[in-house]
Amino acid sequence: MSSPLLGEFLRSRGVTRRDFLQFCTTTAALMGLSPALLPRVAAALEQARRPSVIWLPFQECTGCTESITRAHGSTLESLIFQGISLDYQHTLQAAAGEAAERARETAMQENWGRYLLIVDGSIPTGNKGFSTVAGRDNLSLLQHVAGGAAAIVALGSCAAFGGIPGANPNPTGAVAVSAVVKDKPIINVSGCPPIPVVITGVLTQYLTFGKLPELDALGRPRSFYGQTIHDRCYRRPFYERGQFADSFDDEGARQGWCLYKLGCRGPTTHNACATVKWNDGTSFPIEAGHGCIGCAEPGFWDKGGFYQPLSTGQWGSARTLGMAVGVGTALGVASAALARKRQKDAEDA
Amino acid sequence: MTGTTPTPREPDPLEFDQPRVSIRKPEHRFDSQGETPDASRVERAMNSFVRDFGRTAAVYMESCIHCGMCAEACHFYEVTQDPKYTPIWKLEPFKQAYKREYGPFAFVYRALNLKPKVTVDELQQWQHLLYDSCTVCGRCSLMCPMGIDIASLVSQARHGMFKAGLVPHELAAVTERARREGSPLGATPKVFADRCEWLSDEHEVEITIDKPRAEVLCAMSSIEIMKYPESVVATARIMRHVGADWTFRLDGYEATNFGLLTGDAAAQKELTLKIIHAAVACGASVVVLPECGHAYTALRWMGANMYGKPLPFKVMHIAEFLAEQVRAGKLRLRKLGKSATFHDPCQLVRRGGAIEAPREVLQALGVELREMYPTKGANWCCGGGGGVVAIHRADELRHKVFKIKMEQIEQTGAELPVTSCANCRQTFDDGQAHFKWDKTMHSLLELVADNLVEAEP
Amino acid sequence: MSLLDFARGPALQWSLGIFVVGVLWRLLGVLLLRTRKDLSEPRRDAAWKGLRLIALRSWPRKEFLGGTAFGEVLGYAFHIGFLLALFFYVPHVLFFADIARGLFGTDLHGLTGLNWPTLPNGVVTLLSAISIAALVAVLIHRIVSPVKRLISNFDDYFSWLVTIAPLATGMAAFAHLGGWPYERLLAVHLLSAELLLVWFPFGKLMHAFTIFVERGSTGMLFERKGASL
Repeated sequence: MSSPLLGEFLRSRGVTRRDFLQFCTTTAALMGLSPALLPRVAAALEQARRPSVIWLPFQECTGCTESITRAHGSTLESLIFQGISLDYQHTLQAAAGEAAERARETAMQENWGRYLLIVDGSIPTGNKGFSTVAGRDNLSLLQHVAGGAAAIVALGSCAAFGGIPGANPNPTGAVAVSAVVKDKPIINVSGCPPIPVVITGVLTQYLTFGKLPELDALGRPRSFYGQTIHDRCYRRPFYERGQFADSFDDEGARQGWCLYKLGCRGPTTHNACATVKWNDGTSFPIEAGHGCIGCAEPGFWDKGGFYQPLSTGQWGSARTLGMAVGVGTALGVASAALARKRQKDAEDA
Repeated sequence: MTGTTPTPREPDPLEFDQPRVSIRKPEHRFDSQGETPDASRVERAMNSFVRDFGRTAAVYMESCIHCGMCAEACHFYEVTQDPKYTPIWKLEPFKQAYKREYGPFAFVYRALNLKPKVTVDELQQWQHLLYDSCTVCGRCSLMCPMGIDIASLVSQARHGMFKAGLVPHELAAVTERARREGSPLGATPKVFADRCEWLSDEHEVEITIDKPRAEVLCAMSSIEIMKYPESVVATARIMRHVGADWTFRLDGYEATNFGLLTGDAAAQKELTLKIIHAAVACGASVVVLPECGHAYTALRWMGANMYGKPLPFKVMHIAEFLAEQVRAGKLRLRKLGKSATFHDPCQLVRRGGAIEAPREVLQALGVELREMYPTKGANWCCGGGGGVVAIHRADELRHKVFKIKMEQIEQTGAELPVTSCANCRQTFDDGQAHFKWDKTMHSLLELVADNLVEAEP
Repeated sequence: MSLLDFARGPALQWSLGIFVVGVLWRLLGVLLLRTRKDLSEPRRDAAWKGLRLIALRSWPRKEFLGGTAFGEVLGYAFHIGFLLALFFYVPHVLFFADIARGLFGTDLHGLTGLNWPTLPNGVVTLLSAISIAALVAVLIHRIVSPVKRLISNFDDYFSWLVTIAPLATGMAAFAHLGGWPYERLLAVHLLSAELLLVWFPFGKLMHAFTIFVERGSTGMLFERKGASL
């Protein structure tokens, strides 16, 4: 990891010019950039300085790290990922203990105000002992490191929204990065885990234009989270025609009909799964026959059963409705009786 | 409208003949009867209104969607384009009162004062809308997309107005006069008997009065007795022509019922019962009503309900009676060979259901019937029904409305305009005089009587 | 509790309850009033034939068409658009099936073996757009027409609002308008529909029920007399 420029670094790793441009094209398309901007993306990427990146894992399952590092082991995305100067990631790095912490401090001092902070996992605000790194609690570590960051990427739904640790009843008082850090730009790259190319796309954009991507209301890059799974789902025509699988083993399921009735969260979930897919573009959950569980959305664990259809309202029972019928009838009868009495009084008057 | 209550002139309750045109301001002068304080006027109006309410009227009140389409059906709106003549608006205070006093949510409305109490000022203003500018012709009832019978609600509101003592003077006066003298226009039993005697001599026709037993009891309207006595003669001629066992009775000859028009339910009942009792007394099996629209409504459709049991006789309008005689081949008529158009009296045709009978009679007279447009149930009202023709201050408005009729009739190009309602006829005569029109409205009854072919002796 | 959970949980239950209570209250409060037997001799015995007025009054007599056709067409446009979108849009059908399942343990298919037909989303979008446009025109007409302006009250304007609201929010949710997350749009859509349910029994929307009673009873009254329908 000697050269400071990304282009040189990639060539030293045996990446051809052709592969590089291919990557640029794909990434630009995903980010919704005009093809006219492609040369600029390529040139900018070549000349980009490999930024210092500090990665802090908190209450997490390492799924996000797995997604990024393993899923696309030999692809350009991972090389780009390697292309950054990852100065601290205690799960991945060889150094440990005081040496690791020292490396972090050094990187922070050298790049104060310029480094990129990636966080995965949520931050416990309850007992400080719930999650510590080298004896230091997550909250104070985050506040400390965030101080010198140019921007923060909250990687995965835990860092972005609290995720599983934050699910009801949330025993650790887990919160998202945005609940702790208020004075730095935060990009939420949600998903459990997020799609690898979304991360590299964000990094590419940051490297290319030196600025953060346009975000949606939940702080997610609009280019990847602007549309719902449902919008781009290949099963959408079945939805339009009203053809639904009613169970996972019926004819509809075999015909590949819409999984809406089986609880698919596609219509409410914003992510790029339906277009980018997983495992090197092989498939995504709906294609594999299971509805979307909405993992890129806040609080997705607490939105009722995954197999409860989206439209479902929590209706009262027939008993509550019966009560309403009873009350309405009683009131109707009473008001009619009252009116009749008034008539009688008027007649007597 | 004025915010204060001007001291209304309290004319003699029976004074009617002098048109009181001197009072022009406020624009729509209102009349009141009695010395009742304002608050109790409102209370009486509401009590009466509440008392009358049944299921059907309540459903009507519940579901006006304010589409305003009834305006298109109303001749008063048609000629003025003034939104206040929108039929359902004429009921606004009563709609409000219904919601506040009587509807299912009444106590909510009262508790939160969502519908303010109706004031006497409002009722006074609405006198113009409920009487001067509504003939209860029911054309709006035919239009309402919700199926609200708006005309029936106006009649109901008039009951409230009467109880409040807020009725146009002329109507109050004639109703009172009808109660006191037996006839609204002075056709007392004595006057009627004298007239019949005189008419009998003059026209050489036998006019039967007070026959102890008779199959057919005939009644006349006071307009006919006083203004169109030929109708009395015509009735007698026709009855003799068809060989009917018939009579007039001095205890029940007057079919006019101003109680109905005024909203005086007690008077209405009293006047209706007179005829019913007279018919029962002479054992009549048929009561033939004169050419009078509201008399038909009063006895044919409301009579039994006033009586409290089904009537022991049939009630027929003279046009229906004539049609029946035509069908039975008992009427021998000269063919007129002219063209005629029929003005549909609202209470007889649209609301009464005797749609074809007058036309059958015209057919028998051999006329070429040229229908107006619109005609039958949808025909325009003459503008004088519902008591309007009696209200002097409404003359100007009524004349405007009458233009519709003139235009309609002109368009048919028919030689003879014919109707079967003395009230319509009076309205037409007045309109004719006002506009110096060359068309005279004819009475179907008189037309038939004038063209009877008597069997050779 | 998120807004959506509120919208499809307690808000839904309460609005449905209020709707049921209000409708029964108002209907029974009127229908249980006394009626007087009409003792007059009917011209026609089969008064029930007057029930044809229910269908007949759906379109004005030709004599009245001139002044009312505009209002009639607009009225039909938004009623048809609204009702088709309400009953034949796929998610709505699923929603209703869910009510049936929640209340009776099975849906229409389970009860009758029939499938509720649905309309393609494109058609529903078009219908909703037509409906919204017609409603806007209706409002303008109400404000501009002297007659309608005079006779209008709070009920007319508020009923208009609660009618157009579910259409507008439904369209917004469908198109993901406004940059809001879908759940919030869906929640607002549900809440607007619930507002409609809550207001329904208390305002003029009740005509959806009473119109049949009114036309029917007027028809029978008139038919009995042989009067014009």
